[in-house]
Amino acid sequence: MAANAQPTDAQPKITLVSSDNQKILVDRDIAERSVLLKHMIQDFGGETPDQDIPIHNVNEVVLKKVIEWCEHHRADPPATAEDDSDNRKKSTDIEEWDQKFMQVDQEMLFEIILAANYLDIKPLLDVGCKTVANMIKGKSPDEIRKTFNITNDFTPEEEDQIRRENEWAEDR
Amino acid sequence: MASGGPMGPMPAKDDVRATWKYIEPGVDKIMSGLRDGMDMGMYMALYTVIHNFCTAQKALGGSHFQANNSRGGAHLLGEDLYHLLIQYLRKHLQEIQKKSKEHSDEALLVYYIKQWQRFTTAGELNNHLFRYLNRHWVKRELDEGKKHIYDIYTLHLVRWKEDMFAATHQNVMNAVLKLVEKQRNGETIEQSHIKSVVDSFVSLGLDETDYQKNNLDVYKEYFERPFLAATAEYYKNESKQFLAENSVVDYMKKAEARLEEEKQRVPLYLLEEIMGPLMRECERVLIKDHSQALREEFQILLDNDKQEDLGRMYKLLARIPEGLDPLRTRFETHVRKAGLAAVEKVAQEGENVEPRTYVHALLDVHEKYQDLVNFAFNGESEFVRSLDNACREFVNRNKLCRSGSNKSPELLSKYTDTLMKKSNAKMTEEDDLENLLVQIMTIFKYIEDKDVFQKFYSRALAKRLVQTTSASDDAETSMISKLKEACGFEYTNKLQRMFQDIQTSKDMNISYKEHQHKMLEDEGVSERKGAIDATYQILGTGFWPLNPPTTPFTPPQQIVDTYNRFIFFYNQKHSGRKLTWLWHLCKGEMRMNCAKMPNSKVSPTLQVSTFQMAVLLLFNDSETVSYDEMVEATNLNKEWLDPNIAMFIKSRVLIAEPEGAKPNPGTVYKVNTAYRPKKLKTNLNISVQSVQKQEAEDTHKTIEEDRKLLLQSAIVRIMKSRKKMKHQQLVSETIQQVKNRFQPKVPDIKKCIDILLEKEYLERLEGEEIGYLA
Repeated sequence: MAANAQPTDAQPKITLVSSDNQKILVDRDIAERSVLLKHMIQDFGGETPDQDIPIHNVNEVVLKKVIEWCEHHRADPPATAEDDSDNRKKSTDIEEWDQKFMQVDQEMLFEIILAANYLDIKPLLDVGCKTVANMIKGKSPDEIRKTFNITNDFTPEEEDQIRRENEWAEDR
Repeated sequence: MASGGPMGPMPAKDDVRATWKYIEPGVDKIMSGLRDGMDMGMYMALYTVIHNFCTAQKALGGSHFQANNSRGGAHLLGEDLYHLLIQYLRKHLQEIQKKSKEHSDEALLVYYIKQWQRFTTAGELNNHLFRYLNRHWVKRELDEGKKHIYDIYTLHLVRWKEDMFAATHQNVMNAVLKLVEKQRNGETIEQSHIKSVVDSFVSLGLDETDYQKNNLDVYKEYFERPFLAATAEYYKNESKQFLAENSVVDYMKKAEARLEEEKQRVPLYLLEEIMGPLMRECERVLIKDHSQALREEFQILLDNDKQEDLGRMYKLLARIPEGLDPLRTRFETHVRKAGLAAVEKVAQEGENVEPRTYVHALLDVHEKYQDLVNFAFNGESEFVRSLDNACREFVNRNKLCRSGSNKSPELLSKYTDTLMKKSNAKMTEEDDLENLLVQIMTIFKYIEDKDVFQKFYSRALAKRLVQTTSASDDAETSMISKLKEACGFEYTNKLQRMFQDIQTSKDMNISYKEHQHKMLEDEGVSERKGAIDATYQILGTGFWPLNPPTTPFTPPQQIVDTYNRFIFFYNQKHSGRKLTWLWHLCKGEMRMNCAKMPNSKVSPTLQVSTFQMAVLLLFNDSETVSYDEMVEATNLNKEWLDPNIAMFIKSRVLIAEPEGAKPNPGTVYKVNTAYRPKKLKTNLNISVQSVQKQEAEDTHKTIEEDRKLLLQSAIVRIMKSRKKMKHQQLVSETIQQVKNRFQPKVPDIKKCIDILLEKEYLERLEGEEIGYLA
């Protein structure tokens, strides 16, 4: 099945099957941006698999979007343990391409985040979470509720307790 | 979302039991060998189910939220799965452990390794499948500092250690040790088995603070310890048995081979880390426990010059602490005995030992054992020191030195003199001579009475220089600088000055020659007829060990004229210097015109001393000269005149009348015109034996005197800087100061102190103290 891609491109291809049963052909190194897929290929001996790989939790639209991100970032150096700490976590800076990439409706944004989490693509998960964080930043609880269309189901007492517990985080 | 995998529909994501039921067959497949029936679809399904379970939003009532409030954040799911996995692993491993009992020895190893490898491979796979659990629930637990929660792979190791290893390691280790013993017995074994077991034991050493790291605790406790114990036991038995049946020499070879073998074993299948302890253990059993037997063999090996075996013994005993000390003591004693025996042998030939024979006897012993130290003992500094101690002992205290330790320096100095003399020239290639001088310095280094050597050497040097019998200026310079290097500037100061005097005299003679040529022209004296062709040496009084002549002397007129010219010249250059003529050291050549060489018209030449010259010149004026006339003309005393006359008679230059008459008043001498020497030049200037002996005695006498002075000056120097000092302390300090010249005797020092007290350089104070009087 991967053979039909061979003439144009030397990169070995992998067929992913979305939750809605759509086959998507991707370069192996792009698929391996997902730690889940990378480990799996390793566990089966490291050969490029020629069987379809079901991606149970991601539908075609979202999967394509994720692949688009992976393709853009295919040359990124792999994340190291150091990246995981401090600086990158604290900053909410997002590079320009990623910002544009994330200009999607909220539904899609959350789908991307969930997919990144499921497929174990840490940098994409980070970008998604930062995007959400930027949406919250500087907003009052009511504004946040409005932004994310949340109904306040706290009793006033509960709300009070939460405020007290999180006082340390207040920005004043 | 509810797409079914190849394993049927996925369970509801919040249903623990259903989820585990879905996962378990997959894990089972993985545990019993990944290849059968596992595919990527199944892999993805398992991962997804675990992911779904961990991300399931449980129906969160208000109460549930409250319950987790204290943890300050979202509740992470997964604990149930984690525990179910533990239960599963325990059951699985108990099964494996049970089956292990069906195997023993090598079969057990094969079984253990196979199970271990399958289990750890499965562990890695599970670690990936449960990655979502690792990433969230496990990570949170660890971040919160929970103990005994591990990532899934580490969990596998922990379970193996508890449920499999704990009950199996002893049998496994026994099998390993049996295998190693087989190899030690020379059989071929499957080394990779042991290597795998080592790796497994190492992997089980989990660092409690960071599970990603290993420590060697498990390995050390369950592998290294029994391994070392078995090794010690094995070699203990082997060495005991081997020594009972074989010689010590063979045993050393065996031990050496065994040690090398064990060293080789480490990189084959053991951990590099074991090298130190393993070597120590082997050294203890193979060397230390038998060191007594080895050392007893040492003397035998020395006696038989078994260099190679001695080297082997050195290498073995060097490996254990303090292993060599007893050898050094024995070696020292042995060398000393060898040295004494060598001297004894030389001394058998009588009291008058040839200096060369003596020095070479010493050198041979030294060289032999120095070779041994270098070859067998690796030139080790402690052995060098033992060698030095032994040499110092036999050089200074041996049969020939019984009367005192100054026989060695005397003989060494004499030997040096024979080397440096022209007569020795036949063998004196410069390089050879230099090597011989180096050898001399080897012995010199050991000599305690260096002042004695200095005395004899400076006398001999003076003689060589004055009589121009020195073979090579380069060799002289080289020897002086060697002595200087060994004993310092002061030691060679006079030697150097003597040498310089001669160089200066040479230059001065050249300029005098020019001067003389001019002067004779002025005087109208033909050079050929009137003047004696003379060279002069100006020797500084303080530096030369020369005494003024012991006889009065009236030099012949011809010589007087010649030397007066020189004195005039010299005083022009250096006014105010007094020149004392050392007639007894002067010499010249005379042609005996009245005689002819056999079958030739050439007259023979006589090499004579100035005294002899004065006697012979008398015959120019008279056919016969009586003894009394000789006395009158030369003014020489009997001690000097008589032996010289005897020399003339013996060589048949003069004839006594009546024939055979003693040199007494009344005896008359005439020239033997029939004198027919064999050679063109005949040397009559030979100092008499008795004179030589006398000189040696004189030298020794002056040594005693000089030592007293040296001691006194040392004492004064010390007191000058200390002002006050206890008697005892002063004595030991004095010994310190002079010991590189000679070994002073305490009574001598006390005597010198008394002399200084008498002379009021020092005073006695209270309580054994001595004070310095400025």
